[in-house]
Amino acid sequence: MFGYYFKLGVHSLRRNPALTALMVLTLAIGVAASVSTLTILHMMSGDPIPSKSERLFVPLFDNGGLDDYTPGAEPGDTQMSYQDAANLLRGGQGERRTAMYGVQLPVEPPRKDMSAFKANGVAPTRDFFAMFDVPFLHGQAWSEQDDERGADVVVLGRATAEKLFGDANPVGQRLTVMGYAYTVVGVTDTWMPLTRYYKLVGGGHPGQGEEFFIPFASAIRHETAHSGSMSCSGNRESGYAALLASECTWIQFWFETRSGADRAELQNHIDNYANEQRKLGRMQRNAPNMLYNVMEWMEKLKVVGNDSKLSAWLAFAFLVLCLVNTIGLLMAKFSVRATEVGIRRALGASRRDIFRQFLIETGVVGLAGGLLGLVLSFGALALIGMQSTRMASVARMDWQMLALTFVMSIAAAVIAGLLPTWRACKVTPAIQLKSQ
Amino acid sequence: MLRMSNLSKVYRTHMIETHALRGFEIQVKPGEFVTVTGPSGSGKTSFLNIAGLLEEFTSGEYILDGVNVNGLDDAARSRLRNEKLGFIFQGFNLIPDLNLFDNVDVPLRYRGFNARERKERIEDALAKVGLASRMKHYPAELSGGQQQRVAIARALAGSPKLLLADEPTGNLDTQMARGVMELLEEINAAGTTILMVTHDPELAVRTHRNVHIIDGQVSDLVRRSPSLVEVEVDANAGLPA
Repeated sequence: MFGYYFKLGVHSLRRNPALTALMVLTLAIGVAASVSTLTILHMMSGDPIPSKSERLFVPLFDNGGLDDYTPGAEPGDTQMSYQDAANLLRGGQGERRTAMYGVQLPVEPPRKDMSAFKANGVAPTRDFFAMFDVPFLHGQAWSEQDDERGADVVVLGRATAEKLFGDANPVGQRLTVMGYAYTVVGVTDTWMPLTRYYKLVGGGHPGQGEEFFIPFASAIRHETAHSGSMSCSGNRESGYAALLASECTWIQFWFETRSGADRAELQNHIDNYANEQRKLGRMQRNAPNMLYNVMEWMEKLKVVGNDSKLSAWLAFAFLVLCLVNTIGLLMAKFSVRATEVGIRRALGASRRDIFRQFLIETGVVGLAGGLLGLVLSFGALALIGMQSTRMASVARMDWQMLALTFVMSIAAAVIAGLLPTWRACKVTPAIQLKSQ
Repeated sequence: MLRMSNLSKVYRTHMIETHALRGFEIQVKPGEFVTVTGPSGSGKTSFLNIAGLLEEFTSGEYILDGVNVNGLDDAARSRLRNEKLGFIFQGFNLIPDLNLFDNVDVPLRYRGFNARERKERIEDALAKVGLASRMKHYPAELSGGQQQRVAIARALAGSPKLLLADEPTGNLDTQMARGVMELLEEINAAGTTILMVTHDPELAVRTHRNVHIIDGQVSDLVRRSPSLVEVEVDANAGLPA
């Protein structure tokens, strides 16, 4: 009977075109508003690396002073000091580990016809590439020895490589970075996670890939300044060596464990490390040492802002308003069908049959609303995307949101149709048939 | 085919009670063509609605083709209505935005017949009423008499045992009314039991018997077919001879 009811539903769309158009449009606008805001939320809050998000961890220590400290409070800082980063790298805990910081460096192209330019990059260890599944177009990551020696090697982003060397494979070529000759060892393929989850602090804008990568040790060896935020408690002496020895936090750190179950072991490791440091007179706050997996880290750094959440709630409120309107329109549509209900009941339809027929009919209205809502959603997302590169990168609909559009539209129509359908079922056939 | 014993129907509002039927007794045998007459408000429509399972009664007993309908739920009553009853209304009651084929198809859909059987039954029913060539037409494109023929085809398509007709010629001119009545007589002659409410005494005299209702009770029984009346008297002892 589903096919029969569906056919009747489609037939019914033509019965009162103006009323039908109004219902479909009302639903479509409500759904489009909800879906477009939800899409942005979904893209911003989605798991950027599902295969690993449970076993990639950011460790955080509280190495601040005792002034203005509330005992038991979580570390307010989101980065770590150089000495902690260096110690954790040396500690060798976890399957892989990387320290990193953002750098902005002058690059001198090998070509004479191109002038020097500033490029934004990251200074991690070689593990970075494997930890975050960075794809390579040419070459590979630098070696462990390069990390140990702080070798002057560079991995270029695809766009940077094409800018400097065209389509040719540049591995083995040299270019001058901040006055030093760096050898190209690899070129990453296009890699632009929607949220720059691996470097959320001072992470720049999503939708823009990294222009280059140089070894963490190389950047430190050349006393490369960091590009991003830094937090210092108390006074520190000037100079790069003093920065490295200070409690200033400016480095981000990630561990990768073999499985999510190794989290406890990793927690134990950083707790032991913090205890050792306390014996050396550091970390006097005795604050809890934290570990965050990818999703926890995104939540802590509020990747999805309150504004986005509020927008989604407002969009849903608007959808509810549209639903109330649709209920009224369906009431009007169904009230003129009382005679038909009476006829069908007399010919053998049970109340359940009538309920199914009318509910499927509202589902058809929902389907039509979903189709139009999808078109409107694409339009709304295109408009949102025109605001900025950042918005353009998240205002994209994936298949999940596509499916959600239809599910939401049909569910909304069916919910709106419950009351009118119930009322249609209550029609007394004898009265309707006699009144004709 | 149909038996009602001591049946009553009371309509209640918070202010008043109205007894539409009281101590109502009737029996209709298979193959009968019975007319029901009576003044307005006598209870004819209530009787027909209860007979057609469109309304519930307040007390008493109603046996339809051997099935006691007391206490049946909505689904069971609907199934019984679909399988055993056919309806013809004064106002035709066709669904205006379905063509003739789809109108006749409605009861067959609820019956669960497959597409092939439905098609055969629809074509056969429309052929019987002389409208086989207009299957794709819509009700508004037909005359009143033709619309009533479609309603008859719809009622017949499911091969009901009992046809309930509520003033089927009430909205038709004399010529069309005669045509419809002849069609009903043909259907009855083919074995279908018919119970018809009418105000027209000319139609009443053409049927096997006439049940006259006044104040919710059977007040008179006019017999015309000896073979059927004999059974009727036995079943309704106390009614006027």
